[in-house]
Amino acid sequence: MYAGADSQTVRHSPLVLEGLVKHFGGVTAVAGVDLEVESCEVVGVIGPNGSGKSTLFNLISGMLPMDEGRVWLVGKEVTGRSAWRIARAGLARTFQIPSLFDNISVRDNLLAAAVEGDWKGAPRRAGEVLEMLEISHVADNLASELSGGQQKLLEFGRVCMRDPSVILLDEATAGVHPNIRRIMLEAIRRVREAGATFLVIEHDMEMVREICDRIIVMDAGQVVAKGSFDEIADNVEVQRAYLGRQR
Amino acid sequence: MVSKLSRPQLASLLALFAGMVVLAVLPAYIDPYSLRIVTGVLMWAGLACAWNIVGGYAGYISFGHSAFFGIGAYVTGILMQRDLGIPFLATLPLGILVAVGVAAAIGGPTMRLRGAYFAIATWAFAEMLMQMAIVLDITGGTAGLSLPAYLNEFFFYYTMLIVALGVYLGTWYLLERTRFGYRLKALRDHEPAAEAMGIHTTRVKVQAFALSAGITSLFGSIYAYWVTFIDPRSVMGPEITDQMVVMVLLGGLGTVWGPALGATVLWLINRYIWSELGDTAIYLPILGLIIALIVLFLPNGLISLLPGGRRGHGLLGRLLRKL
Ligand SMILES: Nc1ncnc2c1ncn2[C@@H]1O[C@H](COP(=O)(O)OP(=O)(O)OP(=O)(O)O)[C@@H](O)[C@H]1O
Ligand SMILES: [Mg+2]
Repeated sequence: MYAGADSQTVRHSPLVLEGLVKHFGGVTAVAGVDLEVESCEVVGVIGPNGSGKSTLFNLISGMLPMDEGRVWLVGKEVTGRSAWRIARAGLARTFQIPSLFDNISVRDNLLAAAVEGDWKGAPRRAGEVLEMLEISHVADNLASELSGGQQKLLEFGRVCMRDPSVILLDEATAGVHPNIRRIMLEAIRRVREAGATFLVIEHDMEMVREICDRIIVMDAGQVVAKGSFDEIADNVEVQRAYLGRQR
Repeated sequence: MVSKLSRPQLASLLALFAGMVVLAVLPAYIDPYSLRIVTGVLMWAGLACAWNIVGGYAGYISFGHSAFFGIGAYVTGILMQRDLGIPFLATLPLGILVAVGVAAAIGGPTMRLRGAYFAIATWAFAEMLMQMAIVLDITGGTAGLSLPAYLNEFFFYYTMLIVALGVYLGTWYLLERTRFGYRLKALRDHEPAAEAMGIHTTRVKVQAFALSAGITSLFGSIYAYWVTFIDPRSVMGPEITDQMVVMVLLGGLGTVWGPALGATVLWLINRYIWSELGDTAIYLPILGLIIALIVLFLPNGLISLLPGGRRGHGLLGRLLRKL
């Protein structure tokens, strides 16, 4: 799709990926992924375990160096930049395995997410985020004392503290109580209305149907299908990817 | 920025205030020998606090802090020699500057790597610096260096007191109240997540190391003037670092007040052994034993035994895993 694009090419979409590749020894975890996410869009990334979804996120966010490919974030090329620079350029992400700051309080976790942003306004904002995520009552507990679901909420809360342009969510609602899922969905909706663009990894098809405008399906590091929820649900490749490999 | 003090913070502030009053009037009530011991406690408390900033907060084990102590001692010692005659106070910022520069030069390349690289680099640097102090002329070699004597125990007591208090209050403020503290605790608890928030973790770690080195150098300077004679072993020997590390682990790694507690207990033990046996040969094995006991039974240090002391937070385990 982007063959022939030269280094001068300007990409205006919030997130553009071009030919991303990542090998781990003999394993090719990501094998040439192209993607363009439009403003305020929510794109779902689905695929069987080990298909390279989290690795793709790690490449985009600069957590892992990529072997090939280029990334543009809100019109700026960020290929090869370190994670903290990419974050400051407007990217926020959550991790599949909760990655809270365990030894500080829930509120301090939120404040820590704002240290490179609006620090003055952070306490007020933290209060709002705590309320939105319905975790005000545990604000002064250590993050490590939260339930699994609350930890997922706090992961997302830290993202909300930062006003990012593009947000990557890696299984934000995996295994949580329906109540917490509802809170999370509502919060995602609000952040989206404020103008953020999302790329979300999800295994829960209900969730995918509810929030995603568009879906890409990964298998063995490649995008094997893309389209709307209904198109994907009928897609033969997808069924093969899920039924043929996973079970 | 965080407006209200939490209750444990208020409690520790009150305890601090009471402690300050006691320490301020103490010299009027104790004999000169005891005063020297308390002066030593203050110095070691400050040194342990300095080591804790990089060891307990940035999560990098420095085996080379004796180098910074020695830098301060030698900068002050050399500059105060009769032919130069620079006043004591003027030597302090110079020692700090050298230590900060050296720390940045070591930390810059090594603190982006795993902790083992840093531990080895700091250890090797301290060894190298001590060897240099032994062979160079300007340091007086193994014969050492005498400073102009200023035999006023009260001066050194109050100097150590003010500096140590300043270090603790400054550290407390910096770590609990500023962006820097939040950055440091974030990267300590989860480095990739801190990076994902836009925190330039390597820079913050190097800042923490430089700060720690500067404080250590400051105490080295005061120490040199206090004891009026320094040689490579006494101000750059590895035992200095060992003692800082054990004081922090004993008191409570990664806590603001733990190092003061560890330093008090350990320095009193050190002086007791010295006064009973006339030398401290048995002290090093005791340090080793204490480390073993802490790792096995008290990973969060003595401070975790106090009411309001933080619940187990497994920093020691995390620090060791980082190596
Ligand atoms: N750091 C790593 N080192 C070596 N191999 C890795 C590493 N990270 C991922 N892999 C491998 O890359 C492949 C893709 O893994 P990845 O975690 O991206 O999959 P995923 O789609 O997120 O799976 P899941 O749905 O289980 O989270 C897997 O084969 C995995 O074993
Ligand atoms: Mg994954």
